[in-house]
Amino acid sequence: MIEFQNVMKRYQDGYEALQDVSFSMDRSEMAFLTGHSGAGKSTLLKLIMLMERTTKGHVTVGGQNLSQIPQRQIPYFRRHIGVVFQNHRLLYDRSVFDNVALPLEISGTNPREVGRRVRAALDKVGLLSKEKLTPIQLSGGEQQRVGIARAVVNKPPLLLADEPTGNLDPELSEEIMTLFSEFNQVGVTVLIASHDLALISHMKHRVIEINDGRMVSHA
Amino acid sequence: MRKQSNQPKKVNPTGANTAHKPNALNSYFSHHQKTYKSTFKQLIEQPLASFFTCAVIGIAFVLPALLAILLSNIQSVQHNWDGSAQITLFLKKGVPALDGGILSEKIAKRQSITSSLFVDNDAALVEFKERFELQDAVDYLDENPLPHVILVQPDKSLKSIQHIEQIKNNLLKFPEVEGALLDVMWVQRLNSITQVLQRTTWVIALMLGLAIILILGNTIRLAIENRKEEITVVKLVGGTNAFVRRPFLYMGAFYGFGGSLIAWILINLTLFMLNEPIQDLAHSYQSTFNLSGFSFESTLLLLILGMSLGWFGSWLAVRKHLDDIEPT
Repeated sequence: MIEFQNVMKRYQDGYEALQDVSFSMDRSEMAFLTGHSGAGKSTLLKLIMLMERTTKGHVTVGGQNLSQIPQRQIPYFRRHIGVVFQNHRLLYDRSVFDNVALPLEISGTNPREVGRRVRAALDKVGLLSKEKLTPIQLSGGEQQRVGIARAVVNKPPLLLADEPTGNLDPELSEEIMTLFSEFNQVGVTVLIASHDLALISHMKHRVIEINDGRMVSHA
Repeated sequence: MRKQSNQPKKVNPTGANTAHKPNALNSYFSHHQKTYKSTFKQLIEQPLASFFTCAVIGIAFVLPALLAILLSNIQSVQHNWDGSAQITLFLKKGVPALDGGILSEKIAKRQSITSSLFVDNDAALVEFKERFELQDAVDYLDENPLPHVILVQPDKSLKSIQHIEQIKNNLLKFPEVEGALLDVMWVQRLNSITQVLQRTTWVIALMLGLAIILILGNTIRLAIENRKEEITVVKLVGGTNAFVRRPFLYMGAFYGFGGSLIAWILINLTLFMLNEPIQDLAHSYQSTFNLSGFSFESTLLLLILGMSLGWFGSWLAVRKHLDDIEPT
């Protein structure tokens, strides 16, 4: 599903975030991406969803070499990837329902279909009763669950998460991680960047560790 | 017997997107509809700010529009000038009234002349006395100082002044004719003034059109700044540039429409206020000239022009600022 071949990423200011990264993930696999802050976790995720381009090497996602995707095709490519952010990135001027419906609206889903799918996604994260509220009325954990619902409403084959539990207490963090496992169990490939080692260790999934832009282990 | 569905329930093991193919066109229009509704709502929610933007655009519209109306009115005057292109022939002293009458008839038979009227100098003097109430002054005169006059009306189909000038010169060749007067100078002057006005109107319209585009560009730029986070999120979940642009283009078009609506009201108000003094002026020239205002077509044109300018201004701003916003 994801393949990195000798990937190097140097930013315009000369900073080398990734130096020589190679790894691959199978379809329907779930893995954690760890490393201290600044190790290059976020850069790696950004390369997968084409928020950044590699300086050297190749990234292949779903069999597609990302360096061959032209700029104007990027939006269509991103519709196949669900992303969850640490700071949720919800839109606070609209309801929970509208936030989750956004990807469907963008991809031009039939309006009648939208309601059904949004409610299915909200039901999955346990927020069906709060669809009419705005995100500001929700707790941190609930907001993150809205973010997850938005990421999966399009039923993407690949789900990325960048520190999804960064601001949550351990109990809520585990809830969120369990939710990701459940999506993985129905076949979604899941890659989660996190430095919450305690939580990761008892989740029993593959751990990919990077340090100073290099792979440490991918066993 | 219990009826049982023997069709197995569809399972989607990969969780991949295999939902019904959306009706693309239907959802495209539904999104447009949703966008203009929500954009309109946004503008309504800030009534004062929206009104000010529209008012600025409206006022910028008024000046060129008023000039254009003035111009079209002047041109309609020019089209009716032929009534005034009358040639006055003054006959030499000593030409008897009888000969003058015969000459007048001769002239009337010519081609390119509609009619001709002989005015006896005695009759003219009587009219002169009556009109100007100069009874006593005229009585002091020993003889009638006025010449016989022939009023010649050239063919109305002759529009060019040069042509009529030529007719006047031909009439001057009659030995009985002392002089001729063609009162078209004012038409020529009006012509030049109209041309100056026309250019002025274009220049002002161009400059104010540019101003409208700049004003809108700035307003839209601020709107983009305010919604930067939203734009980033939309791009992250796969929104195309066209999708992101759409609400701002609608916003520009709404501003333009509101602006031209305000302009329409201001223009009609101005015309209403100008109408009376212009009527008075027209009466003093024995004219029934009527200030023609804003026709349905012009109104439609103004509204469409306003919307297009708004759309274009916002398109420029969006092009410059929106595509630069890339999620980081």
